[in-house]
Amino acid sequence: MHALNSRQHCDWGQRVKLSDAPHGGGRLGRAAADPAYLRYRRAFEAAGDAYPSVAVYVGAGASHSWMWFADLLERLGLHDIAFVTEEEVTTEGLSRFGVLMVGGGDTYAMAEGMGPGGAGALEGFVRSGGFYHGSCAGGYLVLRGVDRPPFTPFALVDGEMVNVMGSPPEPRCLEHKYLAPYGPDWVFHPVYGEVVLGPGIEGRGFECFASGDIKAPLFGGPVIASMSSVADFTGVSDRAAFLWPRDEAERLLEGRRAVVSASLGGGTAVASGPHLEHPLFVGANTLLAELLLRHLKEAPADTGAPSGRAPSTTPPHGLNPTAATAQVETLLGEIRRQVSNARIVGFGLEKMPITWRIGVKVWEPEKIRTFLDYAWRRLPYLYARALYLDPAELEPLAAGYAEVTRLARSLKITIESDTDSQPEAQSLLTRLKELTASFLSLYFRLRLEARGDHD
Amino acid sequence: MYYGDTLLVNLDTGTTEQFSFDEVGVFGPGLAAGIGLYEKYGDADPLVIGSGLLTGTTAPASCLGFVVGKSPLTGEVAVSPLGLYAGAEVKLSGFAMIVIRGTSDKPVYLWLHDGVADIQDASALWGRDNWETTDAIRQEMGEGLIQVISAGPACEEGSRLASFSIDYWGSGDTAGLGAAMGARKLKAVALRGLGMLDPEDPEAYYEATMEMLAGSPAEPGFGRLSKGLGAGDVDGWLKPMVHRYRSCFACPAACNTFVKYNEPASVLAPDGVDEPGVMVTSAAAALWLMGGGWEAEPACRAMEAMARAGIDQVRGARELAEKPLKDPAGVAAAVSALTGSAAAGWPSSDRVGSGLFGPWVPPLGSPDEWMEAHRLGYLLGICPTYLLTSGIDRGALLGLCGPASGVELDTGRIAEMLP
Repeated sequence: MHALNSRQHCDWGQRVKLSDAPHGGGRLGRAAADPAYLRYRRAFEAAGDAYPSVAVYVGAGASHSWMWFADLLERLGLHDIAFVTEEEVTTEGLSRFGVLMVGGGDTYAMAEGMGPGGAGALEGFVRSGGFYHGSCAGGYLVLRGVDRPPFTPFALVDGEMVNVMGSPPEPRCLEHKYLAPYGPDWVFHPVYGEVVLGPGIEGRGFECFASGDIKAPLFGGPVIASMSSVADFTGVSDRAAFLWPRDEAERLLEGRRAVVSASLGGGTAVASGPHLEHPLFVGANTLLAELLLRHLKEAPADTGAPSGRAPSTTPPHGLNPTAATAQVETLLGEIRRQVSNARIVGFGLEKMPITWRIGVKVWEPEKIRTFLDYAWRRLPYLYARALYLDPAELEPLAAGYAEVTRLARSLKITIESDTDSQPEAQSLLTRLKELTASFLSLYFRLRLEARGDHD
Repeated sequence: MYYGDTLLVNLDTGTTEQFSFDEVGVFGPGLAAGIGLYEKYGDADPLVIGSGLLTGTTAPASCLGFVVGKSPLTGEVAVSPLGLYAGAEVKLSGFAMIVIRGTSDKPVYLWLHDGVADIQDASALWGRDNWETTDAIRQEMGEGLIQVISAGPACEEGSRLASFSIDYWGSGDTAGLGAAMGARKLKAVALRGLGMLDPEDPEAYYEATMEMLAGSPAEPGFGRLSKGLGAGDVDGWLKPMVHRYRSCFACPAACNTFVKYNEPASVLAPDGVDEPGVMVTSAAAALWLMGGGWEAEPACRAMEAMARAGIDQVRGARELAEKPLKDPAGVAAAVSALTGSAAAGWPSSDRVGSGLFGPWVPPLGSPDEWMEAHRLGYLLGICPTYLLTSGIDRGALLGLCGPASGVELDTGRIAEMLP
């Protein structure tokens, strides 16, 4: 045995960096820490009673991109967030909110899920002073020029999509991302990835354009022709995939509208081709923040629009007794265990050459881990606020993530056995969407309650 | 550059607890912490699993982890290496160090993932060989990249030849720590993590390591080792069966040699026969068998049988070398009948390791150089064989500690941490 007891104390552990990387290192962490958000955070903080209450659409047709709104809103210091489905849209559930954000996915499923009643609810929401932001599918949904069933009633913003034709040419790559049916025609996507946006007429003077054009990701969103413009396509980055020859793709995009908006009653509706909310695109995020700030400043005070809940500084649950806290920690441990297990299976699935078409939306296995990562990165905060959690609200999450692990492992076995995995994949992705919305609801409730605390 | 807590596993009670890595801060990084923890919990005769400061990063050959425990062969504390991808996965599992105490009343395996420790029932795995165990755990957990340190049947039985295996391919455990696992009813330790390592200065670290990799030798196979030892042409001996070479994590030198004998080596498709051959990871075992007059194919079949059973391939090969065999059934019977009479070591060398370290690393250079490569390698997590054969600038390697962790490590401190 080596005699080590006499070894000199070297304080190694005091000086080794203990990384908290699982909680958000890398590009995502760097983007989140960008000082560009500070200005907007302060502005929203100063909004007082106008502090917006935000609904994020997670209902029929929503893909995974709605989670990007969660990142964006958190960076902007907006924690009064709820996740709503088509049911809440159509049953006047929007009246509680000042803002509605709709991301990407299957526009058909969204329109059919909400139906004409939902279309009327959206228009009523905006006319009564609400702010609607739609990216990609959420943008197509409200363009007046997207005028075939089931989209016709959803007409909030003037604009035509120009990326539509009867017989699009064959794509050079990403065939599964290229087309979506539109009556007898096809909506096509000549570019997939990073594009460049410059200010349109309405966007001039926005702080986000002060140092030049900004970048944003275009993942199948509309290329728009409209008289109005918040932002125009000014170029395409080398970090995009070209499904058409590059020069032809650039000709289609350049000078077209990327983001358009309309005022209706006391409210604002915005349709965006690119995902302004994508967490790696700080400039695009700040453009969305500019639009929301402009709306809050310009919205008449007497529209009847909700001004948002006044942030609570007192935890509604108070401090849990010790026994409950121990139970909370056990449940958090179980959630952590199962989210980790499911992420690991998800990583295994990513190596398999398979995709699933659900409606008109193509899902890759990577999306499984994307959902799980949103919970994984935020779990440490739940641990930090364990005193404010009720075991009853964690139990469904723990059971849900255990179910997700089982579903994911079963899906992998099904794929390996070369049998149809579509039903299982759909079940898993649906469950993940529901669970992630539940998790984030809890997370943002804690964040909102902690406003004013030193957290 | 660690993240996560130190894990304390109590197999007597089937419980785990975690504590801050600061508790091992006094010992130093890598093996210094591993041995420090072994001593701290020495009364319980633990097994300690850990990794080096740079393990799992972009530094050349940063593949090395370790297991520290009392060797059933000598009764002394010994270190066995975790190469291939197991060392890196120890780091990524989210635990800085893992201390395993006690004996379970039933077979179990540890499932360590993203800083979560689970003790799983392994009753169905007891008696199964390392290939079956690896497959079963990967199937159960749903991921093919899970790294499995397992105790094969020889380890369960407490054979003097016992050696834990990394996945399917055996290991450099010449100290019998696989038997120490088996004695604790610990069938395996399975590891997987999706966390990110976060150097203090990521850009400086990345640039420095890329520069080092650009200048690294990349000759595949065991040629560098056999030439350095003045031994025979083991690469030429294996060549007709070679399908591919594979390195350990982040290593520019792909020593490990995958050979096929159940289908032609020229078959590239992965959907041929289920088990086409074996990955030869022990140059010493191959050299012993080649030197004993074995043909390459039966020799590789013998190495496969030893890898499956959890037998130290070096000592097994040395014992087998005396009686060359050809018939696969005869080879299997001979492996089953191994007695453990041979000592570990390399052909053409009397050196059998030194102190903590067994003869996993070839006896290249002077004894002092060999020992220095071990110290540096096990503190930083860099393969000592690579240090001895690559000519890598050790000053530059030490210079990585700053951008990795914010701590400068000089030569004097190395000797202080790992005498």
